[in-house]
Amino acid sequence: MNVLVDMAGYFSLLSLISVGGLPAVLPELQRYVIEVKGWLTPDQFLQLYAIGQAAPGPNMLIVSLIGWKVAGLPGAFVALAALCGPAAVLSYGVAGLWERFKGSPWRLAIQRGMVPLVVAFTLAGGYVLATPNNVPDWRLWLIASLAAAGMLGTKLNPLWLLAGGGVLGAFLL
Amino acid sequence: MPPTPPRNLVELFTGFLAIGARSFGGVMPWAHRTMVEERRWLTPEDFAETVGLCQFLPGPNIGNASIVLGKRWFGVRGSIVAFLGLFALPFVWVLALASLYADFGTHHLVRAIVIGIGSAAAGLFISTAIKLGRPLARRPAAIVLIAACFVSVALMRVSLFIVLPVAASIALLLAWRKQL
Repeated sequence: MNVLVDMAGYFSLLSLISVGGLPAVLPELQRYVIEVKGWLTPDQFLQLYAIGQAAPGPNMLIVSLIGWKVAGLPGAFVALAALCGPAAVLSYGVAGLWERFKGSPWRLAIQRGMVPLVVAFTLAGGYVLATPNNVPDWRLWLIASLAAAGMLGTKLNPLWLLAGGGVLGAFLL
Repeated sequence: MPPTPPRNLVELFTGFLAIGARSFGGVMPWAHRTMVEERRWLTPEDFAETVGLCQFLPGPNIGNASIVLGKRWFGVRGSIVAFLGLFALPFVWVLALASLYADFGTHHLVRAIVIGIGSAAAGLFISTAIKLGRPLARRPAAIVLIAACFVSVALMRVSLFIVLPVAASIALLLAWRKQL
């Protein structure tokens, strides 16, 4: 029960700063779940993440896997609801305003100003995910770089790149 | 032919259900296909505009899009219905997969494959960041801001609860003065 309360509280806060979606909160999520709470090992975290990739839908679903691992089915619901709920309420509030102020200078400033942050946090999410133990592992970085190159240089469905990562993992790890 | 929004909540629900059910490997392309091409709820411009807003709101982009569009068409009920439709099937899927994996996840080879997939997924984030960041390549202020945020979050592991408010204030100030 305490675990559920902890998770609900912390994930709700994370929800409000998850600018750019899941990658932005990955470093913080990893720090909390692994280092602060000890709910998962770094390896388990990466594995859950990979399983999340094999399902359709928003990649935010990985948090329901964390919740499931920590507290079963109720954990899965609580984790997902807490991480999506507050952000959803905020989006609901902002939706109409945003349309009404089309072309206003402050709207343009927000649009331009937030892009560098989304870029930086997405990069940080990728880095943290490929560096699960905080120690660089060239094999994981190699797989990540190849996937990034494949995404930028080809029009393949990302699923093929993920599958390629799995094959490389089988040989290298 | 002008786009026609969903006529009722059932249509809205099944539309988002279809997005959630098929979106292996990334949701946005499927959201576009379902809402713009197949069901013609939105024009391509309208879709791009909505996604643009959702990209820097907190929360999953497509989750926010379901809230924003649901509200536009049916108010609160629309937001809830669209959001539930989007998440319902993937949620069941992901838990089913995870319980399967729990049974043979200790096998060394399976573990290696799964870690390989996770690393490739990290690469997908990096490519997304590069795509988004390309237009900023010639703006020194943006580069410095990106580097500072990356170093503090990824390398120094400063909490995002500190980095985000500071970085957002600086970014908005610079953008307001047209220096970003």
